[in-house]
Amino acid sequence: MGSDGGLDTWSTRSIVRTMFPLLVVLSAIVLWAGLTLEEAEELLAEYGLLAVMVPTIIGTGGNLGAILSSRLTTRFHLGMTDLDVRDPDLWANVVAIVALALTIFTLLGVGAFLVGLVIGSTLSLPVLLAISIGSGTAIAILVVVFSFAATYGSYRLGVDPDDTTIPIITSLIDVFGVVIFLAVASLVVGL
Amino acid sequence: MSVRSEAWTIYRQALPILLVSLLGGLFAGLVLEEMVPKVADFPGLLVMIPVFLATRGNVYGALGGRISSGLHQGVIEPRFVRDDRLVNAVVASLVNAIGVSIVIAVLTWLVLHGLGREVATLFELVAIMLISGVLTAVVLVAGLLGVIFVGFERGYDPDNLVGPVVTTLGDIFGMLFLLFAVVAVEVLVP
Repeated sequence: MGSDGGLDTWSTRSIVRTMFPLLVVLSAIVLWAGLTLEEAEELLAEYGLLAVMVPTIIGTGGNLGAILSSRLTTRFHLGMTDLDVRDPDLWANVVAIVALALTIFTLLGVGAFLVGLVIGSTLSLPVLLAISIGSGTAIAILVVVFSFAATYGSYRLGVDPDDTTIPIITSLIDVFGVVIFLAVASLVVGL
Repeated sequence: MSVRSEAWTIYRQALPILLVSLLGGLFAGLVLEEMVPKVADFPGLLVMIPVFLATRGNVYGALGGRISSGLHQGVIEPRFVRDDRLVNAVVASLVNAIGVSIVIAVLTWLVLHGLGREVATLFELVAIMLISGVLTAVVLVAGLLGVIFVGFERGYDPDNLVGPVVTTLGDIFGMLFLLFAVVAVEVLVP
């Protein structure tokens, strides 16, 4: 968030004025994730472990999107405005994000399994891993595509991505994360 | 640098933060699992949860970002004092967090009504969001400022602390206070 340290940019009124409209927009976007979640209430009630995984699904996609978007934004701010598919630096970012996603979503599957041992669950480790890694891979691809499109798009439109683009993109990834997770989960559990 | 070593550097820097928020997320998930049966009493509750968690991250992430910029620029001191900038920023985050909590309840109620789906009373949804929003605000503001100040004094870049602290504290305390609010409203509204 931009602030030059002057007292006027630190007034309560100016902070609320810039931030509140954005919060309302973000709420409207993420509400979609909530609607999907409540539609899946029966699935979540039957398989409690799926509910245990939901907050991490919501958080991790957004976190990865924030990491990649801010790295790409910094590149643009530093004047590296070309997106060349032969650029090794771009590939390093993509590889790192995919590797992080696979690590976290594998651990999420294992973590959910361990929780299931305590609270009692009918879902086996392979099923949980299939759900978490399956949705995690899809979320990682989404993160890469959205982050590139958003930072490049806002650079082209002359908007500073730090202010609005990153929060909106991370919220969208949250929404698609929940939708993808529930779709993969009901597919795997239904098999 | 080669793709492999550059990717490894990014991976190593980001992993600890993501691991901490994974632990917070799993704990929040346990609380969510407890809450699923309560949806029968308060239809719309599950709709509000992702929005509630996401806005906590946005509001307090912005507060943390502002405070770390202020510390870097030297316009804020790393202490709990009555400083105009600090007080303004904290008050603004409280207004934003509590204001948007009410917006979430109203928006959920309107959308579910519009879709013709079952929904709790507007009063119940607003009460749940207000109680959990206020309690989460107190813990998050105190915890976030505490961690940033102590971290800054010990030489950590506060920018790197804000993200993990906000997601982890927000997930854990957000869900705990949400469950508390649901139980409280169950008792208060027979």
